[in-house]
Amino acid sequence: MQASTETVFLYPPTPLSARCYSHAKVETDEEFDARWVTYFSKPDIDAWELKKGMNTLIGYDLVPEPKILDSALRACRRLNDLASAIRILEAVKDKSGPHKDIYPYLIQELQPTLTELGISTPEDLGMDIL
Amino acid sequence: MAHQAHAYHMVDPSPWPLTGAIAALLLTSGTAVWFHFHSLTLLTMGNILLLLTMYQWWRDIIREGTFQGHHTPPVQKGLRYGMILFITSEVFFFLGFFWAFYHSSLAPTPELGGCWPPTGIITLDPFEVPLLNTAVLLASGVTVTWAHHSIMEGERKQAIQSLTLTILLGFYFTFLQGMEYYEAPFTIADGVYGSTFFVATGFHGLHVIIGSTFLAVCLLRQVQYHFTSEHHFGFEAAAWYWHFVDVVWLFLYVSIYWWGS
Repeated sequence: MQASTETVFLYPPTPLSARCYSHAKVETDEEFDARWVTYFSKPDIDAWELKKGMNTLIGYDLVPEPKILDSALRACRRLNDLASAIRILEAVKDKSGPHKDIYPYLIQELQPTLTELGISTPEDLGMDIL
Repeated sequence: MAHQAHAYHMVDPSPWPLTGAIAALLLTSGTAVWFHFHSLTLLTMGNILLLLTMYQWWRDIIREGTFQGHHTPPVQKGLRYGMILFITSEVFFFLGFFWAFYHSSLAPTPELGGCWPPTGIITLDPFEVPLLNTAVLLASGVTVTWAHHSIMEGERKQAIQSLTLTILLGFYFTFLQGMEYYEAPFTIADGVYGSTFFVATGFHGLHVIIGSTFLAVCLLRQVQYHFTSEHHFGFEAAAWYWHFVDVVWLFLYVSIYWWGS
């Protein structure tokens, strides 16, 4: 997960019993990633579920990890949806906001998959200029 | 003089069910003829027959209940069940359109840009006229309840005033929606956004007009002393229908106007 968190210890770490959080179970980053990789790995995922999943994922305050995007791109391949595959790349570039180093990193990590599945990037297609 | 040994209403033979069925046939075939052969004759005949059927059938029910005393408590109970079942069927009708809206908006297709609202759609600001419309309908819910209590308490003048106010609020809503439709930056032809927006809000608007008409009939009847403080089911049915219309609007507002923007 690419969210930036910096913890500065001004006080000694409080014991769990004295913390002020709600008692709801908090999901770790690894659990979050695993959940989404599983979601897109469903062998018989349908077109609606793919688009719903992507919309929910893009609604979060984070840029998805390459492993989640890899799973989503493979789901696009199973559904013969090239348009959504390229749109996913556009979406994560937009989600990165001002952090211009995230998108090239993602493309670098996903390059083997992009080559394997024959997915062009928006830049390859000249679609990145308005 | 013949008397019945039960409290139920054995209705006299009536031609209106037949004319209603004929109207339905003329409307359906008339629509098909209009689409294919550009002729409005059958459709017009169907509409006239439908209006005549509704007027005369409901006039007869008013005669049977208000003037002939056939609407005994068990008969009224049946009418209540009938109205509740009808409104329930209307709920399912709208449920379908909400299903279509959520299907399209939760998982927007690549043709829309994979996002909702779709690329290029300029949505209406939910905090402008739509919010005013919400206030208007909620206020009309208050005035119709005021009317009901006035009838039950025998307050004739107040009943007339509050019922009139309810109808005026209904007309105001229709007027405002009409303006919104005219000024909207998108049309029904603008993809699935346009389709879901105008079909759902359009049918709602039609129901507002139907509800306002029903209330107007009740106003005429109230003026003509048809209702008593104990027995005024026609008014109650109209009020139930009006509340239903208000609730549908609230769902439309939250789903399509607010969340969907």
